[in-house]
Amino acid sequence: MEMFISQPSRRDFLKTGTALGGGLVIAWTLPMGMGKMAFAAGSPSSNLDFTSAALPNAFIKISSDNSIRLIINKLEMGQGVNTSLAQLMAEELECNWQQIRCESAPVDPVYNATFMPLQMAGGSSSVTSSWQQLRTVGAMAREMLIAAAAEQWQVPAKECKAIDGKVQHPKKGVLSYGELAEAAGRQTPPTGIVLKAAKDFKIIGQSMQRTDAASKVNGTAIFGLDVKVPNMLYATIARPPFGATLKGFNEAAARQVAGCKDIIKIGDKVAFLASNTWSSQKAREAAQVEWNLSEAPHLTQTSLLKTYRDSLDKPGTAVKSTGKVAEGLKKASKTLEASYEFPYLAHACMEPMNCTVAYDGQTAQIWAGHQMPTTDRQVAAQILGLAAEKISVTTTFAGGSFGRRANKNSDFVVEAATLAKQLKKPVKVVWSREDDMQGGYYRPLTMHKVKAGLNKSGKISGWDHSIVGQSVMAGSFFGAEIEKSGIDPTSVEGVSDSPYGLDDFRLQLQLPRSEVTTLWWRSVGHTHTAYVMETFIDELAAAANKDSLQFRKDLLKKSPRHLAVLELLAQKSAWGQKPAAGHALGLAIHQSFNTVVGQVVEVSLQGKDIQIHKIISAVHCGTVVNPHGAQSQVESAIVYGLSACLYGELTLDKGRIQQSNFHDYQVLRMAAMPPVEVHFVPSNDPPTGLGEPGLPPLAPAIANAIFKLNGKRLRSLPFSKSLA
Amino acid sequence: MAAYELSMNGKTVSIDADPEMPLLWAVRDLVGLTGTKYGCGMALCGACTILLDGEPVRSCVTTVAAAKGRQITTIEGLNGKVGEAIKSAWQELSVPQCGYCQSGQILAATALLSQKPKPSDQDIDGAMSGNICRCGTYADIRRAIHKAAELAQQS
Repeated sequence: MEMFISQPSRRDFLKTGTALGGGLVIAWTLPMGMGKMAFAAGSPSSNLDFTSAALPNAFIKISSDNSIRLIINKLEMGQGVNTSLAQLMAEELECNWQQIRCESAPVDPVYNATFMPLQMAGGSSSVTSSWQQLRTVGAMAREMLIAAAAEQWQVPAKECKAIDGKVQHPKKGVLSYGELAEAAGRQTPPTGIVLKAAKDFKIIGQSMQRTDAASKVNGTAIFGLDVKVPNMLYATIARPPFGATLKGFNEAAARQVAGCKDIIKIGDKVAFLASNTWSSQKAREAAQVEWNLSEAPHLTQTSLLKTYRDSLDKPGTAVKSTGKVAEGLKKASKTLEASYEFPYLAHACMEPMNCTVAYDGQTAQIWAGHQMPTTDRQVAAQILGLAAEKISVTTTFAGGSFGRRANKNSDFVVEAATLAKQLKKPVKVVWSREDDMQGGYYRPLTMHKVKAGLNKSGKISGWDHSIVGQSVMAGSFFGAEIEKSGIDPTSVEGVSDSPYGLDDFRLQLQLPRSEVTTLWWRSVGHTHTAYVMETFIDELAAAANKDSLQFRKDLLKKSPRHLAVLELLAQKSAWGQKPAAGHALGLAIHQSFNTVVGQVVEVSLQGKDIQIHKIISAVHCGTVVNPHGAQSQVESAIVYGLSACLYGELTLDKGRIQQSNFHDYQVLRMAAMPPVEVHFVPSNDPPTGLGEPGLPPLAPAIANAIFKLNGKRLRSLPFSKSLA
Repeated sequence: MAAYELSMNGKTVSIDADPEMPLLWAVRDLVGLTGTKYGCGMALCGACTILLDGEPVRSCVTTVAAAKGRQITTIEGLNGKVGEAIKSAWQELSVPQCGYCQSGQILAATALLSQKPKPSDQDIDGAMSGNICRCGTYADIRRAIHKAAELAQQS
């Protein structure tokens, strides 16, 4: 999803505008003709007008009791937006951090992302895309508060100063924001806002305590699964394996389960509705649902792998071609070739999918952890036959997402809306862990083949690269474009934009189709492209008899941010010094979501077991808004990446996913957590993405260390299998 | 179905439930306390951890019948010197990310500190490895347990 992220030039699209409904409205005109969004700050009014694209108080609501509510327009799924985005507003607002409460935004165009016409969190874009917007929102509110005080005191505004939630004047005294809020809402919107210089930051750059920490340690934080509505039924759904159809089920047995209230067929799915979750699960168990399974070769692992392997040698859609690949390879004194295999992966968020919908025939309400609430609402509107504006959406906390809750088909909403419509009763659909793991939307199984040459001076000469794997973007809002071109940019990101300055380069792509649904999974295409690029570069370095860090430096001379990361990494990892006996250091560096991350991993092997002794990360992500939060995101990506590269694999048998829960789809646990260091390259540049970029270099860094230990190049994941 | 009187967070709670119903669903759907989370249903992830007479158990595989006559503590009822120290440390160090697993982590950590007031990293690994966190807050949890150990001793 890197393609979503562009840093608009700051002066281009900020325009101040008209006051509506007594509040301040600031128009935020987007580049690239993507439309116009407006937002506002400062007025105490809280009536949302869903018919308007512009509403007062969209992001900041100050009450007379001095409490400040900040409206967060991105799903809080762990990444910390209820803190980092609040910091952006609070920095310019000049308020006290203790005054702040964060709330999740309803659906309205005013809350759309600054880079596309819908509300969403994803693509490591939250801080990046809000950096100008939310600081400006905060600054405008501050200026209006100052103007209100100046008006009351009858003094020039420039004599007043906003500090710590108050406006001060050397002679007139002090007025709190609460006292000024109402009058501030009537002020003329300020123009020519000048945002603070980095040297003046007081909140940005500090490890402010998470605003959601308290509710998440005392059990009061409400996640989608915690929603309870009067008269609600709980639904457990039997969903067919991929390619299967419903054969039959024992309805009578299911109805005998105490608490079972109804059984509803939705196509090939069967929903079991009950007065509590347990009874709905018991009813499904009693029903013993049977399926007509598919015999299609691409739905069984061994035949699927064979098909993909065969495809690697066939021509694909030309994604990129520079120079003449055949000549480059011909000129080479040495050529290397390798094929790579990556499995389907489930997101396996701690909170399984769920959604609650209440519908009364005229209006509806939806509750879930919505990464894309605009499209989730649109999909529900179509099912319910309502105008989207008749549906209110509550975005709860989400127990993780990693891409899963940004569903291109709003899958978790569709079922709940369908059942609520039929029953005209509130319904909560609860996915069991098994449902969640087997229910689709995976990181696609992907294979690569690369052939590259080295000339006599050890320089790369020719690079021929093929990728086979289902599209992630197909079926999304970019689906039509992908159908037309045959190219999914997320399948090739990390190769097509390689910073290694590859000449005589060719990249081909094949996007096979399947009933197995795919989705963006933390760092998307970089999950596999970084592995191929960074292990193969390492192979080339070894073949050229060069130090792997120096080999990269020589290729990255035109990439100052990569060089800065490599230098920091070399220093922090004592690169070049001999590690402990039986240990080896592996290195990888990768850019994703405009952030460059390098990692050095210290590894030893105990038989077939990989022992990871230390992971050192160097990160260039521009300004760090919250150092602890930033470190947490990198640590999080590392844990997620370790789970995947050490154990992660889903396999197919006649359309069934063979894994079901955490015993056969293992994830990292505390005892396996290695010490992690995260170092940031000091920078005042605008922030770049951070939720995902910590993941891609990890697996190749480990693989490069393993090669030093046993001389083997591991060319498939997970390691638990390729090392066995 | 049968009527049960459960001792939960210092109060008596009456519910009508299938004796085989896991305590997890009874607490969440019947009692209405949602701080205890569902994660796997097979005692694999620890998200549903509660304390039964002070011992950490997985409420997804503990039946309502088995909880009869025992003191149930969920995250909502966690207090006392150790519980408060854990919660303070967790909040001060901003441990939760998505937060979904943290009720279970906190109750498992409380049980650990109640047994071992000054746990080593190895003790922490042993006591906490049954609790999965997909956000990867493990390093922060380790720090917070050490911090809570200090806080509990000071108080």
